[in-house]
Amino acid sequence: MLSRCILSVKTPVGPPIEVIRHTFSAPLPKPAQRVSLVAGLHGDELEGLYICHRLIETLKKLEEQDALKGEVHIYPAVNPQALETGTRLWPFFSVDINRTFGQTHTPSLPGETSKILLEDLKSNSDLVVDIHSSNLHLMELPQIRIIKNFEKKLVPLAKFCNVDLIWVHPHAEIFESTLGYNLNQAKIPTLVIETGICLRINKNYCEQIVLGILNLLRQTGTIYSSEPEEEIREPKMVQPEYVAMVQAGNAGLFIKQAEVGQMVTEGEKIGDLIDPVGGQVLEEIRSPRSGLLFTLREHPLTSKGAPVARIATEEPA
Amino acid sequence: MKEKVLSIPTAFGAPLELYKNSWGKDGETLAIVSGLQGDHLNGMYLSSRLALFLDSVVEGIANYTLKGRVISFPVVNLNAVQSGSKLWPYDDMDMDLAFPGNPNGETSEALASAIYTHTADSYWSLILQSAPPHYEDAPHIQTLKLDGRIKKLCRDLQIETVLKLNATPKVGLFHQMHARDIVTVTLSAGSPRTLNIQQCDTLFQGIVNFMVAEKILKDKRKLPHAENTNSKFYEASDEVSISASTAGMFLKEVRVGTTVQSGQKIGEIRDLYSGKRLEEITATADGFLVTLRQYPIVYEKEPIATILTQKKSWREYLPWST
Repeated sequence: MLSRCILSVKTPVGPPIEVIRHTFSAPLPKPAQRVSLVAGLHGDELEGLYICHRLIETLKKLEEQDALKGEVHIYPAVNPQALETGTRLWPFFSVDINRTFGQTHTPSLPGETSKILLEDLKSNSDLVVDIHSSNLHLMELPQIRIIKNFEKKLVPLAKFCNVDLIWVHPHAEIFESTLGYNLNQAKIPTLVIETGICLRINKNYCEQIVLGILNLLRQTGTIYSSEPEEEIREPKMVQPEYVAMVQAGNAGLFIKQAEVGQMVTEGEKIGDLIDPVGGQVLEEIRSPRSGLLFTLREHPLTSKGAPVARIATEEPA
Repeated sequence: MKEKVLSIPTAFGAPLELYKNSWGKDGETLAIVSGLQGDHLNGMYLSSRLALFLDSVVEGIANYTLKGRVISFPVVNLNAVQSGSKLWPYDDMDMDLAFPGNPNGETSEALASAIYTHTADSYWSLILQSAPPHYEDAPHIQTLKLDGRIKKLCRDLQIETVLKLNATPKVGLFHQMHARDIVTVTLSAGSPRTLNIQQCDTLFQGIVNFMVAEKILKDKRKLPHAENTNSKFYEASDEVSISASTAGMFLKEVRVGTTVQSGQKIGEIRDLYSGKRLEEITATADGFLVTLRQYPIVYEKEPIATILTQKKSWREYLPWST
């Protein structure tokens, strides 16, 4: 493993901020395939860090066994200050670094950082996996989200990743400043994995993704490896019209009565929205369709209009 | 007239309410929006001052009569204002990345949608903001276009410095206003979390002047016509950014809004432990200092100042020019 610092910034009081890239490379003049894995764009999303840790362990062993055919780059913690404080945003700037890619406005340190990371990924990757957890509010079943325009290229790759769900969704302008969108626009296929919830590590979900990424590396000819011992699951393919979203009609505390990953039937109760001050149940939250409950509200404090659940349905929602 | 345009229930108390001020019924509408970020106080103060002034106009106790229509939204990101922060800590969402919003969405999306809907029939709009966190802006106008209508708006506002930006986020209010062909500029002045009355006075006079020039207001007095300011229009390529090459405490030696010469000292960065000077920050071009670092703690590679440089006239390149 070769480690390289792609960005170092002096800080006013302590050690520098450093963004590190670890490289596992085949001893060949031209590696077959270059795959990059990115984690920690949001400082409170820790599952990607654990996934990278597990992959580094495995890749070290594969390197010793000369089992690398290509090159794997791991960027395990790309937003170090946010990770140290456990916050989504880079705390000194209150900036979401995953909303600064590809932009050309006023210079700033977060903007400079995203520029360097994007360029480094572009020059070292044929395929990128950007690993995210959900925010503080929602629990997500391991899934890959794909913008409709990139569906053709990305779906076959996403199917190798052992996720429960591949959600193809329409483009929205907010995505244009994200890492995934900018890499895909630059013709570097990039899969955006979303799993679990921030500030927690769901070991089962992480192991599922580790298995999936190793399978992706094997299927793309980046590593020599035997068939995985566990079967790679066939993900549920979900087009936009097959997602039913449940939003809160009131503000209150959401008390869940279901678990993410569960199959629900139409009308089945998912939870209650209660008035914490007045003591009454404001709303019984029920599933509008039958299907797979792949997103569920975890943070009880709920505002009106906030998403409570998403269900992958068998028929158009 | 203060009118409630949106009410959003909250879990623990009274609903969150978005208010719109409006004056006049006829004519083209001027929309003024401030408080998209919870700590941009200059804009909120300026908006409240304009409300006081326009109320006095309507009540007939000012030297003006109202001929057009003005609407204002003094505070948009209500929760962030109440939290004393740029963003609402509950969702950490930049309100100015939520447009055009969604009436059925979460709080930020619903607020954005209400602003988007209520400004739809405006002819002009002014978005009031402060500099990004840690910086101070000299009062200046930002625009995405420099057509005749925008140039006239800028001249009428009597704010000398106009910067044409290359792009702004498509999900920002500024972009959305332009996309609807509303004649829109952003007025930027001061720092977040601070109130600069002097800068607000400059902008207030500019907005009143603009309203008179566009016949939204009529001045009852027979005053001689005031000379318009000669606006200086800058492109994004005229911006020169000066960055720190070390980290520490930045001590400034110039004021934002002044003209600096190439080589002039702007400030210095000192080591927090030894107090020793680590770096002298100097201007790398002649020009107008539009943005300056206000918060002293700096990281390496952070921009410290932005200078707007004037392009040379073609005459200056002629061989016989001296």
